[in-house]
Amino acid sequence: MLQCIFLLSDSGEVLLEKQLTGHRVDRAICDWFWNQILTQGDSLKLVPVISSPTHYLFQVVREGITFLACTQIEMPPLMAIEFLCRVADVLSNYLDGLNEDLIKDNFVIVYELLDEMIDNGFPLTTEPNILREMIAPPNIVSKVLSVVTGNTSNVSNTLPGATASCVPWRKTDLKHATNEVYVDLVEEMDATINRDGNLVKCEIYGEVQVNSNLSGLPDLTLSFANPSVFNDVRFHPCVRLRPWELNQILSFVPPDGQFKLMSYRVKKLKSTPIYVKPQFTSDSGTCRISVLVGIRNDPGKSIDNITVEFRLPPCVTSSDLSPNYGSVNVLADKTCSWTIGRMPKDKAPSMSGTLVLETGMERLHVFPTFQVAFRIMGVALSGLKIDKLDLKNPLSRPHKGFRALTRGGEFQVRS
Amino acid sequence: MLTQFGATAESLSKASTMMFRIGTDAHLYDDPDDVSIAPLLDSKFESEKCEALKRLLALIAQGFDISNYFPQVVKNVATQSLEVKKLVYLYLLHYAEKRPNEALLSINYFQKDLGDPNPLVRAWALRTMAGIRLHAIASLVLVAVGKCARDPSVYVRKCAAIALPKLHDLRLEEHTAAIEEIVGMLLKDNSPGVVGAAASAFASICPNNFSLIGRNYKRLCEILPDVEEWGQIVLIGILLRYAIAKHGLVRESLMLSFEDLEIQSQEKDDPESSHLTVRKPFDGASLDICTEIADIVARSYLEGPDKYLARLGHVNQDSLGFDGSCITSATSNDDVKILLQCTSPLLWSYNSAVVLAAAGVHWIMAPKEDIRKIVKPLIFLLRSSGSSKYVVLCNIQVFAKAMPSLFSPYYEDFFISSSDSYRTKTLKLEILSTIATKTSISSIFLEFQDHVRDPDRRFAADTVAAIGLCAQKLPDVSNTCLEALLYLALSESSNNAVALMGEEEILLVQVVKSIMAIIKQDPHSHERVIVHLVRSLDSMSAPAARAMVIWMLGEYCNIGVLTSKMIPTIFKYLAHRFHSESVETKLQIVNACVKVLLRAKVEDISELRLAISYVLELAKYDLNYDVRDRARVLKNFLSHCKGFNYLEEADYRTEFNDLTYVFAEYIFGGTKKVPSESFSYRFYLPGSLSQIVLHAAPGYEPLPEPCSFADDETGHSPTNVHNDHESNEIDDSDDISGSLDEENTSDYSSESVSGEGGDSYIASDSGEDEEAGTLIHLSDDAPDSGDHDRVSVKNTSSGLMDAGELMSKRALESWLNENSDSGQNSSNLSQVQRSLARISIKDIGQLVKPKSYTLLDPTNGNGLSVIYRFSSEVSKVSKELACIHVSFSNHSEEPMCNIFLAEEKPNPSPDSSEKSGSPSESVLVSHDKEATLIPMEEIDRLNPGQPADRVLQVRFEHHLLPLKLVLSCDGRKQQVKLRPDIGYFIKPLPMDIESFLKKESQLPGMFENIRRCTFSEHLNQQNDKDEPPQKDIFLMICEKLALKMLSNANLHLVSVDMPVAANLDDLSGISLRLSGEILNNSVPCLVTLTLKGTCAEPLEVSVKINCEETVFGLNLLNRIVNFLAEPPR
Repeated sequence: MLQCIFLLSDSGEVLLEKQLTGHRVDRAICDWFWNQILTQGDSLKLVPVISSPTHYLFQVVREGITFLACTQIEMPPLMAIEFLCRVADVLSNYLDGLNEDLIKDNFVIVYELLDEMIDNGFPLTTEPNILREMIAPPNIVSKVLSVVTGNTSNVSNTLPGATASCVPWRKTDLKHATNEVYVDLVEEMDATINRDGNLVKCEIYGEVQVNSNLSGLPDLTLSFANPSVFNDVRFHPCVRLRPWELNQILSFVPPDGQFKLMSYRVKKLKSTPIYVKPQFTSDSGTCRISVLVGIRNDPGKSIDNITVEFRLPPCVTSSDLSPNYGSVNVLADKTCSWTIGRMPKDKAPSMSGTLVLETGMERLHVFPTFQVAFRIMGVALSGLKIDKLDLKNPLSRPHKGFRALTRGGEFQVRS
Repeated sequence: MLTQFGATAESLSKASTMMFRIGTDAHLYDDPDDVSIAPLLDSKFESEKCEALKRLLALIAQGFDISNYFPQVVKNVATQSLEVKKLVYLYLLHYAEKRPNEALLSINYFQKDLGDPNPLVRAWALRTMAGIRLHAIASLVLVAVGKCARDPSVYVRKCAAIALPKLHDLRLEEHTAAIEEIVGMLLKDNSPGVVGAAASAFASICPNNFSLIGRNYKRLCEILPDVEEWGQIVLIGILLRYAIAKHGLVRESLMLSFEDLEIQSQEKDDPESSHLTVRKPFDGASLDICTEIADIVARSYLEGPDKYLARLGHVNQDSLGFDGSCITSATSNDDVKILLQCTSPLLWSYNSAVVLAAAGVHWIMAPKEDIRKIVKPLIFLLRSSGSSKYVVLCNIQVFAKAMPSLFSPYYEDFFISSSDSYRTKTLKLEILSTIATKTSISSIFLEFQDHVRDPDRRFAADTVAAIGLCAQKLPDVSNTCLEALLYLALSESSNNAVALMGEEEILLVQVVKSIMAIIKQDPHSHERVIVHLVRSLDSMSAPAARAMVIWMLGEYCNIGVLTSKMIPTIFKYLAHRFHSESVETKLQIVNACVKVLLRAKVEDISELRLAISYVLELAKYDLNYDVRDRARVLKNFLSHCKGFNYLEEADYRTEFNDLTYVFAEYIFGGTKKVPSESFSYRFYLPGSLSQIVLHAAPGYEPLPEPCSFADDETGHSPTNVHNDHESNEIDDSDDISGSLDEENTSDYSSESVSGEGGDSYIASDSGEDEEAGTLIHLSDDAPDSGDHDRVSVKNTSSGLMDAGELMSKRALESWLNENSDSGQNSSNLSQVQRSLARISIKDIGQLVKPKSYTLLDPTNGNGLSVIYRFSSEVSKVSKELACIHVSFSNHSEEPMCNIFLAEEKPNPSPDSSEKSGSPSESVLVSHDKEATLIPMEEIDRLNPGQPADRVLQVRFEHHLLPLKLVLSCDGRKQQVKLRPDIGYFIKPLPMDIESFLKKESQLPGMFENIRRCTFSEHLNQQNDKDEPPQKDIFLMICEKLALKMLSNANLHLVSVDMPVAANLDDLSGISLRLSGEILNNSVPCLVTLTLKGTCAEPLEVSVKINCEETVFGLNLLNRIVNFLAEPPR
């Protein structure tokens, strides 16, 4: 079981500590941890489980904040990691983002939340909807109130009814003026295009996000027109697993508000909506680079938010890059990001430039990988179609809405 | 708030940034103590209290110690405002342990809150009350938890379940039974939320009390999908352990694949049954199981890899071989079936930990064909979050090693993404090379080729290593690999020639290494590769790569025509370059010289000779001595064996039989045994922390012994016992059969063996004997009581969940050893303590006669006899000094002069014949620090028959080895040994019984050690002088015992208690309490003796020591037990 949770800023400062059990963990462990980070470089930031001389540490880094948990005994490491992720989710949900100042400004709420989320090292209440009922998130009204009256309490006086019900994720006596439920398909395309320009792997990681504002205790069923496209699925705890096993129908009592109903993966897609073609030609110490971006298969909707990012190899000393569309930004750590935005109708964006190599180096022999991001509204590239959404016990006919969206996920083009 | 808006410009600018943070608690965090907090805390306004508490919380967050506000904060616990209450609770929990007395003040309010109609208030009160770790209120908390466990509110019941481990953590044995009873009750709860929390309580309190699970097994399985995710993780583990303990392993599962093969091979001899063992191909592809690894995995899961590896030296393959009773079948056993059924939907869970836990169950229990089910969910986990990816991959790696066919169709999912961390990348590479098959290898290679040009050269080098592994695994592709690698080597080496960077070298070296590994498998077909490599030698600059190429050259110099043709040229080149090579390469060149000469054909020798002798000559005068030495040795070889200098002689071959030639041939010739690939044999249960860190984390427990739990299907027999026994714990564990217990005890012994090496404290032989003694004592007990002992050992092993005790292995061990007794002891005590009478023993001090030892007897000392005894007086010089009375007496005819005792000088005197005849003490401790002696006054003259007394003062520093002294008498020096007595490393610490008990309660758990011994001295006395009836026999025995204690250890007798209700002859329950403090650090040391038995028999005395210095306490305990058990003289 976890013994302690620390929140560290990106400079290693301990923002807060929450001791969870009687076996106190000294703050010194954070110094040890930060020293390791400093000596071993950032690669350690990506290692989730570290064994220090006295404790095992689990870390999750979100937006510069390190969530560090300590234990001394055997426990499932994924449990700790999942929990820390959950804490990070809840906090960023409460505070509208995560950064050092937000945590400092709202440290009391963070403490109160942590105290509800974990007790004696074992997770207690992690369902965001219930937490919201127990501890009110900071909002403009409460802020203004606190300035005017100097006093508001964000701790609820009553226990959320959901903790007692058989659907612990939902309040029993919800009343909404507007009865509405929205279903969003949010997909991310993971693709790898190898050096020869061949599509090595192309798959969709998607989530069915539901925003439910329904009164009472609604029982929903959601069915897909083509459930056979799914390769893998994972469900929110509210989904009844039996109907899915039998007819691949999602039957559930939704939590109130926004939640992820399921996530899925569709593998072996045949093509990507856009292409990125990088080219390098090197000669006597310099290297010409040209990158072409264009539409391969028109998805029917406009593609926007296109960015191409890559990191110049360490042997490149200077670079001069110019795009014919959008803007290029080269950061100190040699990361170049080319922001294209919306795909222009009339021309294909391209970027070209020269890279100067280290002295003594004739030609480039290591090549960067290009990360491509894009967004297509209104299309689920996996081809998944929602058939229908039914409400079993309608108090009044709800308003239903469906949307779809595809983004670039781990979309990588090797050069 | 207004204090923030000062008049200065600086604070104005601050104020402007404050605007964004307005209404938040930002100012409290930034300047928590800019107003004085104390008056705010005492304010009558809730808002001001609240602000003060927030400021305190900010200080806690920033790591300041603000426990001095404790009394003021505690007062506020009575508040009605929930927010203030919450903040007070947060503060209380943070500091309660530091300020136990003040914390007690809050208990009444908690008690009141527990009766509050608002369940939230009840739950908070319970959580906080249980979180205040005070022994004094433990029983109150237990009552509260018991009450809350029956609360109508689910949330309160859940909090009660979570509070149980907090209570258990205090290690109060008398509560164990009650705690477990509540756990059992909560496991039966209707609400899944409570069951989940109860499961976590079960796992940390009594993970091996399977009878609690057995009663509810089916229901727990059914409720599993509804339990919330965190509870699921724990519950899955519990159910798996139960199923194995109850039913054993599944015949069709992977765990028994090795046995399966054996059975098959046996059955194949038997023609009739052979048709049964034909395995159907599954999905067209046969199940490719690496049985060897699967077997290791299974054994590791069951025994823990440390134990398994320790045993590996003397493997007997049948040790896993169960008789049929320990094997069950997934198809016919309902319990196993339902477990698999209920865990399979969990593979779709959102929580990756749940998925992995469920996958673990299927991995261990499911029939081999059904394991496939876990693959997709596991792979899908890789997409969930970056942090869990690494952990999941670590587990997949093990699965893939044991059963590559599971993952081989999904090789694409392990393709590396540039956003992966380095560790993830290497793990993926390893998995890819494990699961590569003939069909997938070509696409995998395409991927690898891309990675070789990755800017991260370390990763590129790892890719090359993976290519090498694949080529070795799949000989079909080795040629393709080799060609690709060769191309890479050639292009890399040309790159290197231009820009040499440290990172670039890694890749080239790895390429050559991989090529070498592939060539080793079949050198003859790869001659051209060697030639190519050698030809590019000139452009290769990495010394390690050059060295390897030269090694290959020497090793394979005669495998083909091409190589032997180019050898002379190469050696000319090498001779030319020799001076500029690195040491590593030079050594290889010299080696290669010998190999070439040994293998070369006669006609080439003359050509080679010049170059080689030139090289050797150069090497002889090299700057590096290693190279010089080797050159000399090898030159000797050659000059002898091969007639190196007389090549023209026709008959040089006759000298081939020279011995040195044989040596050379032996060293350089011969086929090298390729060292098998280093393989990680460390497997831990899937999803465990130990599997990630690759060592057994404290508290890690392998799977229980299959079928070790025999259920009481025949109408709960233990309930009968239940009424008689006060302890539920014992009878619950009664139905666990002996095998499990054995497993556990043996576990400890192995641990203690491994701990021995690292311990500086217990090193000497007799120390080990002591250790062994306690262990034997544990297992050799009378059958019934011994059973209890072991049971409680096992139950305390559940306490491994507790973290504090795990800090020191030594402490833990000792605690485990000794606590076994305490379980029973405390139950005895609790029986007895109902009514006690205090016996006062007066004048005991005068009767104390410390034992004396001989330092030198007259026969050895030319008539001088020296006797010493430890004295109870406290040194005036320093409190760390122990006083020793030394009596000298002259038994000879002549007077003696200048008798003096001093510490031995560093140069030991040769005279060591003297051996003191004193009874062998427990010489336990060796310590780096030397004992020091305050010199005594010299005795000028000792006449015949005259005695003289002196006082020695020694600072022993816990040093238990004999102190070597030099006794000079009449100018002669003699070495003598003074044996320290740990009983006098302490001095009496007078205290009354109340403070004794209080102190004792503060030193629980690992600070408490118990051993038992028999005391029989009173028997002699009774027999000797027929007891006068008026003298109370109880008093007499107590006196005897106290005397024995006091004359052997420098303690203060605190009290002697006896039960009032005791029978006439029954001494059971009498307890003596003694106190002392350690000389050099004044740490209190409490000794309690508890008697058992009757007057007419040897008494069983259990000696308990409470001392913060655990090791010292243990040693003292051993000493006390030793002298108590000593026969009277």
